[in-house]
Amino acid sequence: MVQVSRETRAARGLRVVAPRLGWALIILMALYITVPMLCALVFSIYVPTAGFTFEPYLESVRDPGFPGALSLTLLITVLTVVALLALMVPTMVYLHLRAPRWRPIIEIVCTIPLVVPSIALAAGLVTVLRSMAGFGRGSVPAQISQLLQNPDLPVVLVGSYIVLTLPFVFRSLDAGLRTIDLRTLVESAHSLGASGATVLRRVILPNIKGPVIFCAFFCIALCLGEYTVAVTLGYRTLPVWLTQIAGSNFRASISMSLLINALTWALLIAMTVLAGRAAPARTLALKGHES
Amino acid sequence: MGLIPFLVFIALFLGVPVCGIVLSAFRVADVNKPGNYVPSLANFAASFRGASWDAMQNSLQISVIAALVGGIMGLALAQAIVTTRSRKLTAVVTVLTSVLANSGGVPLAFSFIAAVGNAGIITELLSLTDLGFTLYSSGGLILMYQYFLIPTMVMVVLPTLAGLRVEWKEAAASVGATSWQFWKKIGLPIATPAILSGFVLLFGASFATHASAAALIGGGGVPLISLRIDSGLAGGNLAGQENVAMALGVNMIVVALVVLLIYMPLQKRSLKWFK
Repeated sequence: MVQVSRETRAARGLRVVAPRLGWALIILMALYITVPMLCALVFSIYVPTAGFTFEPYLESVRDPGFPGALSLTLLITVLTVVALLALMVPTMVYLHLRAPRWRPIIEIVCTIPLVVPSIALAAGLVTVLRSMAGFGRGSVPAQISQLLQNPDLPVVLVGSYIVLTLPFVFRSLDAGLRTIDLRTLVESAHSLGASGATVLRRVILPNIKGPVIFCAFFCIALCLGEYTVAVTLGYRTLPVWLTQIAGSNFRASISMSLLINALTWALLIAMTVLAGRAAPARTLALKGHES
Repeated sequence: MGLIPFLVFIALFLGVPVCGIVLSAFRVADVNKPGNYVPSLANFAASFRGASWDAMQNSLQISVIAALVGGIMGLALAQAIVTTRSRKLTAVVTVLTSVLANSGGVPLAFSFIAAVGNAGIITELLSLTDLGFTLYSSGGLILMYQYFLIPTMVMVVLPTLAGLRVEWKEAAASVGATSWQFWKKIGLPIATPAILSGFVLLFGASFATHASAAALIGGGGVPLISLRIDSGLAGGNLAGQENVAMALGVNMIVVALVVLLIYMPLQKRSLKWFK
């Protein structure tokens, strides 16, 4: 008798509640995730007075602020991705090849952005830029401040977005470089007469393609959606522009916000699937993207 | 040194702003000499008084409740997913959680406005306003935060829960342990570090949230520390508000630092049984 009851217990496995209750919870969560997005979709394609229409999408594109916000966001995104990879790939390769002692220090440095909320980083930038401008027109600090904040090329946004991606980028590239035999690859390439740049481009990069794409996608997703730093520093990127037109034309703003969201999700899904294929090992779960 | 470009970059874009915020937080305008500053703790004193302190308390309260709700829901959901033993579902959930945990911002706030805002579809469908519900409140923020908090919790605890082996329970059962005893003595102790680290991470994430809250609440309505920094910066430095905003920023950094210092070792320990 006792034996039987033990067997049933084992057969129940690690279940704590009835399977139906578990499924109910899963369905409830699925609804919670999908309903707001579906409501937003309905808002963007159905106007009570006009029925089904794509007018909100067209209105958002026709808004006078849209081209500027789009081109600024795209410019920042491209510059950030390029600068991020140009800075971090050589740095991480150098770290693994020549300066492994520095690895713990660089790791800590790259983790710091996690403890600096983006609003705090933005506040820090504001106070520094304001006090530099306070040296007076024409002075060197004021000129640097102006250069960093150039409205057509906001270097300060590019720099801060790179900072915000560092915790992920470090982990991703670090894990990628660990899985390959970097030293042997580099030494054999050198012995065949390849220069440093060639080794980086034609030997190392192809071997860490997965992590590099992961970093690029993550960075693009962040640049497309980042709001806090941009609004605090007074730049009209797409998300900032969205909140500005929301008051006068909510349907237009929500239709564009849906498009941006869809693109961001697509990037993040592609990134996660790619990363899962490249490195099935568990990575430290971190939540770093702006909320 | 090949690390110099990186170190210069970090010094400029992370070191300088962090030093800037700390230095500004510890000084006030000199009343005797306009335009000059003197070292002072007055900004921090001000950050623990009045509206700033209300915002701090409200942020802490919202974050604790949001983390508890998200933590419990996420834990239950992760367990439900694990026990379906469906590989497909687990794979889909793994991808979805990492996407949702990293989503948010303006689009999140807008979708919630479309669903349960003043003129939202669900609001009108279920006459939520008559029930006294409003999205533009602490409760509304907590509801909205769950969108990235629950997936974050699932992401943190799912690997650990999935790692609990049925064989361990069978082994426990073979020496006479009941299901309750298995969970109390084996299952929960193994899962506890991951669960705690999840709660801590959720708290930190809600505490630092700015974009979606700003897009939803804007300047008024619910006091939040992150929004309070906004208004302090926007007000210029007439009444020294900018420096108080810097002190609030330092307070946020300290909270985030504590969160990370608790989270990291817990996360490390949660991996102990699965190496």
